[in-house]
Amino acid sequence: MTVTDQDFQLFIYALKNSSKYDFSQYSEKSLKRRLAKVLADNRLNLTSLINRMKNDTNFVEKIVKEITVNTTELFRDPQVWQAIRYAILPKLKNNSVINIWHAGCSTGQEVYSMLILLNELDLLDRTKVYATDLNSDVLENARQGLYKYRFNIGYLDNFDKVIKENPYNFEEYNDVPYEKYFSIDKSNDLIKMSNSLKEKPIFKKHDLVTEDNTLYVKFDIILCRNVIIYFNYELQNRVFDLFHKNLYDNGCLILGLHETILGTYSVKFQKKGHAYYKN
Amino acid sequence: MDYKAVIIGGSAGSFQVVTRILNSLPKSFPMPVLLCLHRLKHVRSGFVEALSLKSNIPVDEPYDKEQLKPSRAYLAPANYHMYLELANRIALSTEDAVNHSRPSIDLAFITAANAYRQKLIGIILSGANKDGAFGLKKVRDNGGVTIVQDPNECEVRTMTQSTLQLTPVDHVLTTDQIIKFLNKL
Repeated sequence: MTVTDQDFQLFIYALKNSSKYDFSQYSEKSLKRRLAKVLADNRLNLTSLINRMKNDTNFVEKIVKEITVNTTELFRDPQVWQAIRYAILPKLKNNSVINIWHAGCSTGQEVYSMLILLNELDLLDRTKVYATDLNSDVLENARQGLYKYRFNIGYLDNFDKVIKENPYNFEEYNDVPYEKYFSIDKSNDLIKMSNSLKEKPIFKKHDLVTEDNTLYVKFDIILCRNVIIYFNYELQNRVFDLFHKNLYDNGCLILGLHETILGTYSVKFQKKGHAYYKN
Repeated sequence: MDYKAVIIGGSAGSFQVVTRILNSLPKSFPMPVLLCLHRLKHVRSGFVEALSLKSNIPVDEPYDKEQLKPSRAYLAPANYHMYLELANRIALSTEDAVNHSRPSIDLAFITAANAYRQKLIGIILSGANKDGAFGLKKVRDNGGVTIVQDPNECEVRTMTQSTLQLTPVDHVLTTDQIIKFLNKL
């Protein structure tokens, strides 16, 4: 099913009018494709979709959940996590408190990656980890810390690269067992995060597009990876403004591997390796 | 006719062809070259460097929302879809694979066709699946120029043949002829 430009605008308008969600500045190409998929999956045409949205807030929530993208991995892009381990976190080792915000955390794999790394560096006790997403279903999944095993065997390779190996010293090998942090239940095809990790983060529903910082603290590190690719250029700048305001001096923002700060905010951050430090 | 972009899609057997094309384009090639090539999921480095070796124009994996410039080549990053938005900006996405592919050649071509319409040149090269066939059809439907590498020359001919089965194209060319064509632009 193809979605015309006019259909797309009608949907955005209807969503804005029947909810607090504003997708008008989302990256159009990707969102259009998602909308086509939602229509096909629900066997609806646009008119019936919009009519149902008007009277059924649960249905609106369901559509918003289906239309957003939730791809994530444990230690996704190991080179970024190696940088967090060897370049970014060490600068914070004398802090009495470290605040970290995972903005757009999806199902939480990167939240657990951070918790594991913090524990390995003996920083977990003094760190507060906040994780937010627009989609309450993925947040619930993140709270549960349950992931498919077979589909995600790559997690273990990533774990080895970041936790066991040292890219700066090939002779070093820390034989940290997976069981220290998660159990693998092959018969039920599950990876289960340990309870001690699960009780640590504060998960909260939050919309980066329409809301201010509702966590009421500032941050040493904000991770927002492969989220802003779904926003247009103008909206990206709004989000950079939100991040800039809510970072401590010397705090840093970590983006996805192919995300960058273009435009006016590029001068307000300084890129060092994989991190953008607040100027 | 002023063209605004060339988009090239390929998979198995296309690396050498793309390398030869890049190596023979002039430094001042008047438009951006978009490359959407299938690659192994976890091989994320080395590909750009290999393509850059003898290329006369710089080859990069673009950042999201990067603005396209002439005389440069942009390679779809591993594990992302690459879309063309209006206003000459690239948009990346981690949505599910399409036809088992991310980047999907179809998606890159469809969005480029939509952004550049008759000012786009689409080229499908050697490859082992049918990704790209529908994309090139969309280039044609939008009035762009369509080129398919001569299947007789392709290391793997599935991609070019399924394209030719799906849509008429403007030119079926060997690598040498593709190079000549691009150098006349």
